[in-house]
Amino acid sequence: MADSKSSASIIEESVKPRPKKSFLVKIRPAYPFIVILAIWQLSAMYVGGNLGQLFPTVDKIALRAYELLTDPLTDALKENKVNGIGEALHYLTEGPIIWHVFHTAWRLPLAFFIAAIVGVIVGILMGRFAFWESFFVPLLSVLLPIPALAWTPIAIIWFGLGNQTIIMITAFASFLPIAMAVWTGVKTVNPVWIRAAQSMNADKMTIFKTVVLPGSLPMILSGMRIGLARAWRAGVGAEAFGGVKWGLSAGIFDAQEYLDIAFMMVAIAVLGIFGYLLEKVIFQPLETRTVIRWGMMEEMGGQDKKV
Amino acid sequence: MIPKIEVKNLRKVYDTPERKVHALEDVNLQIEDGEFICLVGLSGCGKTTLLNILAGFVEITAGEVLMDGKKLDFGYDKGVVFQEYALFPWRTAIQNVEYGLQIRKVEPKERKEISMEFLKLVGLDGFEDLYPHSLSGGMRQRVAVARALAYDPQILLMDEPYGALDAQTREELQELTVEVWEKTKKTIIFVTHNLSEAVYLGGRIVVFLPNPGRIREVVPVDFPRPRDDLSSDFIALQRHVNDLIRDK
Repeated sequence: MADSKSSASIIEESVKPRPKKSFLVKIRPAYPFIVILAIWQLSAMYVGGNLGQLFPTVDKIALRAYELLTDPLTDALKENKVNGIGEALHYLTEGPIIWHVFHTAWRLPLAFFIAAIVGVIVGILMGRFAFWESFFVPLLSVLLPIPALAWTPIAIIWFGLGNQTIIMITAFASFLPIAMAVWTGVKTVNPVWIRAAQSMNADKMTIFKTVVLPGSLPMILSGMRIGLARAWRAGVGAEAFGGVKWGLSAGIFDAQEYLDIAFMMVAIAVLGIFGYLLEKVIFQPLETRTVIRWGMMEEMGGQDKKV
Repeated sequence: MIPKIEVKNLRKVYDTPERKVHALEDVNLQIEDGEFICLVGLSGCGKTTLLNILAGFVEITAGEVLMDGKKLDFGYDKGVVFQEYALFPWRTAIQNVEYGLQIRKVEPKERKEISMEFLKLVGLDGFEDLYPHSLSGGMRQRVAVARALAYDPQILLMDEPYGALDAQTREELQELTVEVWEKTKKTIIFVTHNLSEAVYLGGRIVVFLPNPGRIREVVPVDFPRPRDDLSSDFIALQRHVNDLIRDK
């Protein structure tokens, strides 16, 4: 009989595939940047003259970016040291900007990673045990508003210049909001879910693993975002004074001596892109697969979207 | 026949800094195995408190509760269906139903089979892989019922489970509840504000009065099923229960 289809297949048939977004719609996020670049270029061209070096035009910045990537390669080509594509690529990876990116790229995420792990552990302890809560809450609340930069001189005096200090400062600054967010998340899990698990005779540990942790995920992810932002800010400050040669922020502050504004702009742009990628490549997919799929959080732009 | 549940001289007092609340006073009740009993009464009459006591959420102040003639160990297997949204949003429908079995260490294959059986029983065959977020209120409560039954509890406790649903869905679910009861033969204790619902569902209706919470009367409902909520007998009984609730 025609109407003996199962409800599932009826649902499948009536859902049309979503129309693919047109190219113009996809590149919408880029529009504000195009506008800014246009304003920048016009202003820089207008200023020109003596201030030209301090306010480089977009093409000068682009040229500097190119130089930062290809200088070693160009030099090697001049001295005829390049044999084949492989070696050419090798020289490319020695471009100064690559070095700066690399060092920031391993330091900052490492610091954030440490902060995330310690933050989650401490936050869970605080949420689960009244003892740890009464110990940490006043402590963290007082430390939280202190900017990471304020700790930097002490940290340098105690731990010396170099990578370890930068990582420590960054991790510490990042850890504080993560711990507080995890604590809040664990404490504010919907009590009905806990009751439901209790009614099925789940023991405390099981309830914690199967209900409290997933239930507090929206809050935890939120805290991680804040922690990442803080790591970024702390990292930039710490790198500047941390006495390391390589690193985007270290490079920016070094470039101050040469008034190499173009370099600074390139480094700043890379910092921004880096942060944006972390958000797009790590956070958003993670959120989509978990809290958004479960309906515990609204997706970006979801409040205006038609279903 | 030994009653499934026997409540003797039960008292529950909530001792708050502001005042003492006599939620239940001198409550005596016998519930037979396999019966469908409804608890009704105005707000604050203690019906939900009694349910919470049986569910193990609330402690007794005085008196005792027996199951199958022996002192009740409140860690017994019970199924609870709440009024609020109690499904785990991070689990699909079938994963929710599997929860009770999972914590009882049932093998995955068996878990899945049993859970599918119960999902079929509540009419959600084909929806097992959807998240609660994608289900309607009525469907969510169906999953909740399946979840509460999957691990074969001794009794099913339902606390105004259909209160948040629209009238139409509510009726559908009432019919489903009777169907499930007839098929599983579970003892069901059902708290509701809705007298029509109580008369439709219950084999007996326990009428509570507030301040202090106590039982006024237990009204038997002997109409054959399925019941017609518009018949004059039905309405007469409903009116009678209504009067009792208001202590007339």
